[in-house]
Amino acid sequence: MAVTFARLKLRVLGNGLRGQTWRIVLFVVGLVIGLWFAGIGFLLFTLSGVRSQPELAVLVPAFGGGMIVLGWLLVPLVWSGVDETLDPARFALLPLSRPTVLVGLFTAALIGVPAVTTLVATAGLVVGAGRHGGLPAAATEAVAIVLGLLLCVAASRAMTSAFSSLLRARRTRDTAAVALAMLAALLGPLQIAVFAAAQRAGLDRLVRAAELLGWTPFGAPYLIGFDVAAGRYAAALGRLAITAGTIAVLLWWWARTLESAMLGVAAAGAAPDRRRTTRSPVAQLLGRLPRTRSGALVAREVRYWWRDARRRASLITVGVLSVVIPFSGNLGALLTPDEVRTPPPPFGLLMGAMMTVGSLAAVSLANQFGFDGTAYAAHLIAGVKGRTELAARAIAYSVYILPLLVVASIVAAVLAGGPEHLPAMLGGVLAVYGAGLAVNLAVSVVAAYALPETSNPFAVNTGAGLAKSLLAMGALLGALAAAAPIVVLALVLDGVWSALLLPVGVVYGGGAVWLGITVVGELLDRRAPEVLAAVTPRR
Amino acid sequence: MTTQAALALRGLVKRFDAKVAVAGIDLDVPAGSFFGLLGPNGAGKTTTLSMAVGLLRPDAGRAFVLGQDVWADPVEAKRRLGVLPDGVRLFDRLGGAELLAYTGLLRGMDPAVVDQRAVELLDVLALSGAGRTLVVDYSAGMRKKIGLACALLHAPRLLVLDEPFEAVDPVSAALIREILQRYVVGGGTVIFSSHVMEVVERLCTHVAIMAEGSIRAAGTLDEVRGARDLEDVFVETVGGRTATGEELSWL
Repeated sequence: MAVTFARLKLRVLGNGLRGQTWRIVLFVVGLVIGLWFAGIGFLLFTLSGVRSQPELAVLVPAFGGGMIVLGWLLVPLVWSGVDETLDPARFALLPLSRPTVLVGLFTAALIGVPAVTTLVATAGLVVGAGRHGGLPAAATEAVAIVLGLLLCVAASRAMTSAFSSLLRARRTRDTAAVALAMLAALLGPLQIAVFAAAQRAGLDRLVRAAELLGWTPFGAPYLIGFDVAAGRYAAALGRLAITAGTIAVLLWWWARTLESAMLGVAAAGAAPDRRRTTRSPVAQLLGRLPRTRSGALVAREVRYWWRDARRRASLITVGVLSVVIPFSGNLGALLTPDEVRTPPPPFGLLMGAMMTVGSLAAVSLANQFGFDGTAYAAHLIAGVKGRTELAARAIAYSVYILPLLVVASIVAAVLAGGPEHLPAMLGGVLAVYGAGLAVNLAVSVVAAYALPETSNPFAVNTGAGLAKSLLAMGALLGALAAAAPIVVLALVLDGVWSALLLPVGVVYGGGAVWLGITVVGELLDRRAPEVLAAVTPRR
Repeated sequence: MTTQAALALRGLVKRFDAKVAVAGIDLDVPAGSFFGLLGPNGAGKTTTLSMAVGLLRPDAGRAFVLGQDVWADPVEAKRRLGVLPDGVRLFDRLGGAELLAYTGLLRGMDPAVVDQRAVELLDVLALSGAGRTLVVDYSAGMRKKIGLACALLHAPRLLVLDEPFEAVDPVSAALIREILQRYVVGGGTVIFSSHVMEVVERLCTHVAIMAEGSIRAAGTLDEVRGARDLEDVFVETVGGRTATGEELSWL
């Protein structure tokens, strides 16, 4: 049965590529990038086999493996989404037992570039274990990395599935949003904190941390082969139990949320809100906004950024990341108590962090028409002008993001050593954010793509996870490139003169947005039917 | 160019990859007519109507709404046009009243007029009881009705409705029929697609039958059906098969 699911997934993948040249190109690019990273990972993991440095046999599997598990846990949630080619809801009516569906969907989830990449990279550990313990250790480790992959995939599925059902239900969605925000907040600083701590802490301390990690699901699977190599058979069995137990628990959890996902279609729909209101329709929509086209567009967009689970998830992760990034450079220092008072991070580093923030903040708009899907037809029917449309979208999104950017700038200024740095930080971030808006508006019109019409806010179509990542990456770099003059200026100006960045940045950012809206707006006027076709899911 | 036609299609063609969905359609919908576009599933009805209202760019051909070229002068054409698309989501995370206000303001209408008409439409379509319920939580029939209200709000001279009676219960269907009939009596023109013969026979002054991307028959209702039943004419024109009783004996 599992084979049938696997074949089904491959067939759907194949059919998705058929006759779509750009998708094939994208798929191949993704495969190449994946294999490139897999190769680097493989080499790094073989370091575990260096005989002259025995501590690497603990450090590499524990920390490397832990990073991979953590990546599988968080990256789909905050960045790429999950490939829901086989939507669980489609199996609801078939006479299949729950374990069958579970095993089948799990098998299908194992098929994909990320899984292959992970397996190839961790295969470096097989070589490493083999160097230490010969064939038996290598064979054990080979099984162990497969178990590790199962654990990773189970973790990512359980995580996204649980979050999507939480974000769906009105009762729990706000709690889920906060939890998601905190997870997103973990991603950046954790990595940097680990690196920073690794630089400062002594080797023996690191080894102790790695040993501890080896007894958690994050490191356990990858150390099994090395236990066998060292003759610690009891430890190997213990870690095997941890791994298997974790997989079992994750699958059980996934099965529970899967049940609700399968019923999702039929059970959707909240209790209707029948409260009458005496306010007129226009007043209900607009509140105090101007009673014009733009007012209506802004009002609807502002509501949608919060009411649409997909947009909300995107808004929250980007929002939190933008406040957290300036912190993360400094966090490693805070975590090492034996160090005396560390000097504040250099101004340039923080400025760079803030520019990244500004660029990242605009990325949520890269597929803004995809969020609307076919509903965008209403704008075509009403003949909304491209400029009006884009201006309203930029304004509505900025209603949420600008306050966050101000907070981020204050954080960065404090970290840099005082309020006198605030104007520069604010100017820099606004300039890049403006340039980012312009770039992402263009991306959203030129490279819109359809999102599946499921209730899972993390679901993307086959291959679209990659498209999404590549587009976002391109938009990110494009924004920084578009703001290059400000970046240069930020590096040149210092001291009192750095305050000049505020007016210059505001004007530059504002100018970029205006230019973007004008140019892209005209493009949208010509391309609107094509945008609609691009965001219409193929059925 | 016939000036009386409310909607005129000239040589519309649409291909999806290798498949020809619409193979060169010419059609005139006379002003003041109640026009039914009939066809089996996959005949190209939705594709044709989407091209006629400016949602889908045709590979060839032109469409005119009351003499205005939809693809050359979209703003002017869309002002006189009300559309209820099928298989298209609404901005369904707004309430019904909010959605109407949104649609009206997008069309640049006076807010006071929007308020007055929206309240009236909600009342007539029996949607005011839903209060502030989001459209996403509406039933299928309610969604059709709010979609129709959005299409009617700016008092267009031509209504293009794609499957307006699909998934609608008899009570709502009767209501929609009555509203549309009154609209045509008042001088408006309606073209709608359907594959329900009874509705078409009861409402329409004109019909066209589509199959495999081209018009097979068009004219007034009496011209097309002659002395026969519309359903017989339809099945014959489209070339459907009838069951002989031999197959599916295992059922």
